[in-house]
Amino acid sequence: MPNKSLAGKVAVAGVGTTRYGRLPEYDPYDLGIWALKEALADCGLKIADIDGVILNRIPDYQRFCELAGLNPSYTTITPGHGRFSGICIQTAVALIATGMAKTVALVYGNNGRSAGDQYGGATDIYGSGGPGLWFPYGMTSPGAFHALMAKRHMEQYGTTSDQLGQVAMAFRRHAALNPQAVMRDPFTLADYHASRFVCEPLHLLDYCLINDGGVAMILTNAKRAKNLAKPPVYIRGFGQTAKFTGSTFPPDDYWAAPMKKVARSAYGMAGAKPADMDALMIYDNFTPTVMFCLEGFGFCKTGESGPFVENGRLQLGGEFPTNTSGGHLSESYMQGWALNVEAVRQVRGECGARQVKDANLVQYMTAAPVITSMIYGKEAK
Amino acid sequence: MSDVYAKPLPPIDGLNAPFWAGARAGKLMLQRCLDCAQYRFPASRYCPSCLGERSEWQATSGQGMVVSYCGFHKAYWPSFAGDVPYDVVQVRLKEGVQLFSNLVDVPRERIKIGMKVRAHFDAVTDAVTLVRFKP
Ligand SMILES: [Zn+2]
Repeated sequence: MPNKSLAGKVAVAGVGTTRYGRLPEYDPYDLGIWALKEALADCGLKIADIDGVILNRIPDYQRFCELAGLNPSYTTITPGHGRFSGICIQTAVALIATGMAKTVALVYGNNGRSAGDQYGGATDIYGSGGPGLWFPYGMTSPGAFHALMAKRHMEQYGTTSDQLGQVAMAFRRHAALNPQAVMRDPFTLADYHASRFVCEPLHLLDYCLINDGGVAMILTNAKRAKNLAKPPVYIRGFGQTAKFTGSTFPPDDYWAAPMKKVARSAYGMAGAKPADMDALMIYDNFTPTVMFCLEGFGFCKTGESGPFVENGRLQLGGEFPTNTSGGHLSESYMQGWALNVEAVRQVRGECGARQVKDANLVQYMTAAPVITSMIYGKEAK
Repeated sequence: MSDVYAKPLPPIDGLNAPFWAGARAGKLMLQRCLDCAQYRFPASRYCPSCLGERSEWQATSGQGMVVSYCGFHKAYWPSFAGDVPYDVVQVRLKEGVQLFSNLVDVPRERIKIGMKVRAHFDAVTDAVTLVRFKP
């Protein structure tokens, strides 16, 4: 349900990111502190100004706050699942809007690359329904879960591998313009097809990266944000809903029904519609989720995301420049956090060679058992 | 071919024990809520549909339909290295419950979404029979 009274009341004041890639000398605490220092410098605030802390993927809140010199009035910590970036940002809005905290730091640290994280195999619990239940059949990994959805979408609507490849290619072209991106070499459709299958129909280039890095965001009320170093980026709208029931298996509707609910909330709050978005940041754990979001949020009709992504529509200069940083596929696997930061930087006009002209409204969205969306704006309303 | 079965085996004790005991006896057993009559798997103490605690295990038709499938080219366990590429199917049983499994006696290129399939009981070790499917 859209809550219009919250639209534009909270703003992003500061954002910070580390280098991305392989950073074995940094643990998740270090990566979080590095990003937090960048975010504080970005808005000109000090550690003592932070009175709310929301941590994601960092192992322990007490140790983190001890290391960072934080004694906040509100503290919480969340598991390292990508869907939590949107959840955490919305929690920060609620804390600030209710006055429970004035200035909230959201901090994420991920050393997955150096820690040797595997998304599949003996330690996999993604949609598992219980430890090891499906392993005897060789079923494992979030990639396979999305491969099942992609295969069904292909048979149901005629979506093609070429179209998935178009998504991956667009994001790589964007990454080529982003000095911070881990993978910057553009590739052709032939290269895409030549990349090995991991889980058919998905190729290696349909999969997100695994790398180290940290991200931090600092949110405060709109009034205070106006007096800080950078212009405020207002949170104009958001929405969230879950589809946990039956979620051991891929949903029949590719999460379209819950996404429609989230879309109503986010667009209702922002007083905007899909066509008003100047850029999109879509949680790209795998290319098919980009397609599912475009359908579920109403950018195209059900089943038509395949043709929709052709002809450079998602590229810079296209109708809906998407994941202008390169996203999880090519910039960095920061589980939604870096996409939210990219949205903020686009609205501020800080993106250099990859800047979208007049980016006034930028939307973040995710397709998963928790669907979230955020709409960021240059103006408060 | 080695005598030792090296692939992962399911935990056959605990709440799902009747499912695995049924498979050994050639039956597809599912837990059914005695309050709302919904079938469910994996097993749980409370029914996810009505939170009822009363349930029993019933033999089911073993009939279902392929909802989707995917082809593993990466072996996440060394014991699967000789099988790649192999396919995993998502099957919806007539009773509404879904399972991940494999098809037997179907060449890869013949797998189709919407295929009608029936349970096939595959005794992989003395203790464990897996539930696979056949057209
Ligand atoms: Zn029930």
